[in-house]
Amino acid sequence: MSLRQEVNASVVSMKNSKPSKKFKIDKWIPYLFILPSTLMIVTFLFYPIGTVFYYSVQNYDVSAPFYNGFAGLDNFIKIFTQDKLFLPSLMTSFKWVISQVGLQLIFGLAFALLLNQKFRFRGAVRAAAFIPWAISGVLASVMWSLMYNEHMGVFNDLLMRLGLISESKAWLADSSTAFAAVVIAELWRGIPFFAITLLASLQSIPEELYEAARVDGAGRWKSFIFVTLPQLKNTIVLTTLLRVIWEFNNVDLLFNLTGGGPAHSTTTLTMYIAEQAVHGSNFGYGSALTVIAFGILLVFAAVYLRITRFERED
Amino acid sequence: MNRKSQQKFDRLFTLNIPILAMLIFTLFPLYWTINTAFKQEGEIVQRPLSYLPVSPTIDNFVTAWTNVGFSTYFKNSLLVGVCTVLIVLVLSTLSGYALSRYKFKGKRPFLLMLLCTQFIPRSMLIIPLFIIFKNMGLISNPLSLIITYAAVEIPFTTVLMNGFISNVPRELEEAAMIDGCNRLQAIRHVIFPLLIPGIVATSVFTFIYTWNEFLLALMLTNQQGRFTLPVGLSYMMGEFNINYGALAAGSVIALIPAIILFAYAQKHLVNGMGGAVKG
Amino acid sequence: MYKKLSKTLLASSMAAALLLAGCGGQDSAEKSNAAPKKDDPNEEVTLTFWDENAGPQRTPIWEELIKRFEEENPNIDVEYVGLPKDSAKTKYDAAIAANDTPDVGSVQTSWLPEFSLRDALLPLDSYFEGWDQKDKINAGAIDFNKDIVNDNKLYGIPYTQNLDILWVRPDWFKEKGTKIPETWDEFFTAIEEQTDKANNRYGYTIRGGAGGSFQLQRLMYAYSGEEEYIKDGKSTINSPEHAEFLKKYFALYKEYTPKSDITNGYKEMIAGFDTGAVAMVQHNIGSFGEHSEALEPDQFQAIPLPKTPDGKYVAEGGNTIGVSIFKDTEHPEAAWKFTSFLNSKESQSYWNQEVGQIPTNADVLEEAWVKESPHIQTAFKVYDDPNTILYKPPFYLPEYRSILDSTVDSGTQAVLSGKMSVEDFLDEWATAVEEAQKKYDEHFKK
Repeated sequence: MSLRQEVNASVVSMKNSKPSKKFKIDKWIPYLFILPSTLMIVTFLFYPIGTVFYYSVQNYDVSAPFYNGFAGLDNFIKIFTQDKLFLPSLMTSFKWVISQVGLQLIFGLAFALLLNQKFRFRGAVRAAAFIPWAISGVLASVMWSLMYNEHMGVFNDLLMRLGLISESKAWLADSSTAFAAVVIAELWRGIPFFAITLLASLQSIPEELYEAARVDGAGRWKSFIFVTLPQLKNTIVLTTLLRVIWEFNNVDLLFNLTGGGPAHSTTTLTMYIAEQAVHGSNFGYGSALTVIAFGILLVFAAVYLRITRFERED
Repeated sequence: MNRKSQQKFDRLFTLNIPILAMLIFTLFPLYWTINTAFKQEGEIVQRPLSYLPVSPTIDNFVTAWTNVGFSTYFKNSLLVGVCTVLIVLVLSTLSGYALSRYKFKGKRPFLLMLLCTQFIPRSMLIIPLFIIFKNMGLISNPLSLIITYAAVEIPFTTVLMNGFISNVPRELEEAAMIDGCNRLQAIRHVIFPLLIPGIVATSVFTFIYTWNEFLLALMLTNQQGRFTLPVGLSYMMGEFNINYGALAAGSVIALIPAIILFAYAQKHLVNGMGGAVKG
Repeated sequence: MYKKLSKTLLASSMAAALLLAGCGGQDSAEKSNAAPKKDDPNEEVTLTFWDENAGPQRTPIWEELIKRFEEENPNIDVEYVGLPKDSAKTKYDAAIAANDTPDVGSVQTSWLPEFSLRDALLPLDSYFEGWDQKDKINAGAIDFNKDIVNDNKLYGIPYTQNLDILWVRPDWFKEKGTKIPETWDEFFTAIEEQTDKANNRYGYTIRGGAGGSFQLQRLMYAYSGEEEYIKDGKSTINSPEHAEFLKKYFALYKEYTPKSDITNGYKEMIAGFDTGAVAMVQHNIGSFGEHSEALEPDQFQAIPLPKTPDGKYVAEGGNTIGVSIFKDTEHPEAAWKFTSFLNSKESQSYWNQEVGQIPTNADVLEEAWVKESPHIQTAFKVYDDPNTILYKPPFYLPEYRSILDSTVDSGTQAVLSGKMSVEDFLDEWATAVEEAQKKYDEHFKK
């Protein structure tokens, strides 16, 4: 990194000797380059996001426009004082995000380490291992609900044939197994993302580092801890940050497999928002909840990037 | 035990068995869906379950493909997917290039803006988006989906592209410019070829998103012939309409492009994604 | 510095929001000014029609009817748009909020009060009065539709009627000598007798998941025979009879029903019956097609919900789906032509025969297929009985559906998992209804 910076510095100093007019145009180039993306995002995402903030202080129910009007902080006050589902669903969100991102990272790393070895048909095995990433939440939930089904599900059939259970279990209905069942289904879909990115990072670790470690007498485990992990740090920080945000907002599987039940025990904050805003058509209240979620994620991202010292070069 | 067989024995536990376990975990749901898709309706719900179709049939595929207008949705999905990918590639390469090659005021706020777009559940954006596109006269026009998908994807793909471009040594580009290329020529002849893995990764990522997106696809389209594949699939899941076989067959059809894409792009994908997130 | 930037961004996006919202508003104002236009009968016209439950079963039926209509009316072109059932209401909501509604739509009766209050629908009274077939359409259903909306106008012409019933396995009942239940006691006995867990067979299945609340409510009122949903601002939901019923009913869970019932949606519930895991299930006559695909004709039978202690059937009013015309249509005459076509004898006959539900057109009721389909005759047994109690849920409350969808569905699951008592559950439900009613009364100053 430092070597490259030095080269860059010398290149920049070379560039500075060019005529100053060219330099001025150059100054505007980055803005020109980010302009189309910025325009697109501001028009098509910031306006809708702005409405969310606007509606959070309104009574806005699309199915009852006659009740609509300015609400001040009523929605927020109601959330913090009366809403019995806000805190539990936030807790479920934390549970969901931590278990998903943690397990996806661990298994993703394991998959990546496996797929980084040399073996026959490696290309095909890699492609196969990545496929679940391409499957939508809706399709994945169709597949898994078919397999988890109490009457015709293949899991019950297999486990009974193996003699592990004596009668069919209702995996998605029992509050002791429902959450774990959905976690497994989402893991299936989520691990490949980590596996791909980590595998790629593994491939870019210079072999010399391992050799040096070996010379120092480090075994497999030690060189994993002292060479591999530090080299993967930036990848891990960025992918976990993105995953945390995505998993926080990801409702497909939970919604389709358990509907948030039994008795809201698997309802995350984002599902609760959808229940209020989309299905209950109460966009005002849903917007207020969204604003709170927005704040939580913003604080999380800022703190996370700070404590991991991501991309701090100075 | 000699050394070689000891090594082989080790490999059994560090490679063969774990790989097998991994493949079972990832492929079993696919196997089961395909198995279901080839079964006759009665056999799907019959107990004991059959692990291979007793009398395989392609009826479900025919039902899925013809009955619900799947072929049209398939084509629409392809159109929307390809156009979105093109827009995303151009815009995120530009902004990724700016991020990676320039120090400029407003870089951090720009990154912050990108991050903030990811904080809001998409379902909250439906009605304002609908109103925007209605005012633009683009409801039911594939453009409304293409624009929305591109806007949603650009924040992430910009970060990806930033990573890829940072990985191409700046010296190469500068050298080309000294040799008389202007910046754009340098980008085209020197950087672009090195960016191919990154471009593949970005395209795959974007395409998969557009291929699977349901809610916006339903909400921004008011014409039957303009719906995309996820909407078509959802028809098979409604009340009074359970047909597990056709549903499974539809799922398999929807999966085919993704599988082809992965088989083809697998190698670039790995190189690409790695470049992106190394930072 | 970030703070400043994000403030600017927020401010500018708010400005954009208001600007765009303003445009939307203006647009709608223009539209409604220009609304009543006389159209030339031979003008080339395109109508959009939305189906609220599209899928491989119903879409082809609509397409056939549209084809027939276009043959009769070569100058009118009807564009079909099928909405997946789970998202249909959301789609209509967004369309109404953005003033971008279809010309004609299939609209569930329970949506009429809300859509009409949102000023989305065209009153059909004058069209209906001038229609030569108007006397053929079930007068009770028409009156009901007028009765539930705030201004008592007619906003939808019902083309099909449904009824909650029990589907049973007559072969198993015969085998075990179980009596087909006619009273609630027999209902509970039959479930016990039919349960044979050793053979993976359950007497009954409860819909504990999505949509279960609507069915639960129909069972409760069928048990109590209560005629009013809300009496003087108090809801009858938490009446002692309802508590008594639910205690018995929820006690069936796990003992005589599958464990997965707690999160059962429609699909899982029907799959339980159609795979031969369950002997009896509550649904409506509309799932006839599903059963006839999976089971032999002698393996399923429709029976009415049991009678109240004083021997009366109970049915929930408004279990119909109708055709509505949306106010923003530029071709009201053509839209009415299509609406009346869909309610003609031929169309209703075709639609209802294919789907297996009850037509509302009297002429169709005389047809042979109606007389020969046992599940429709079962429904008539209930609807034609002069003593049948028809109670009316408060469809006009904007919160009605979300109370059922979130409070009641999750409350059901809480009771089933032993986390809540039946009384608390019913009180919570009743309170939610009463509060919604109070808000409504205050606003409309009844």
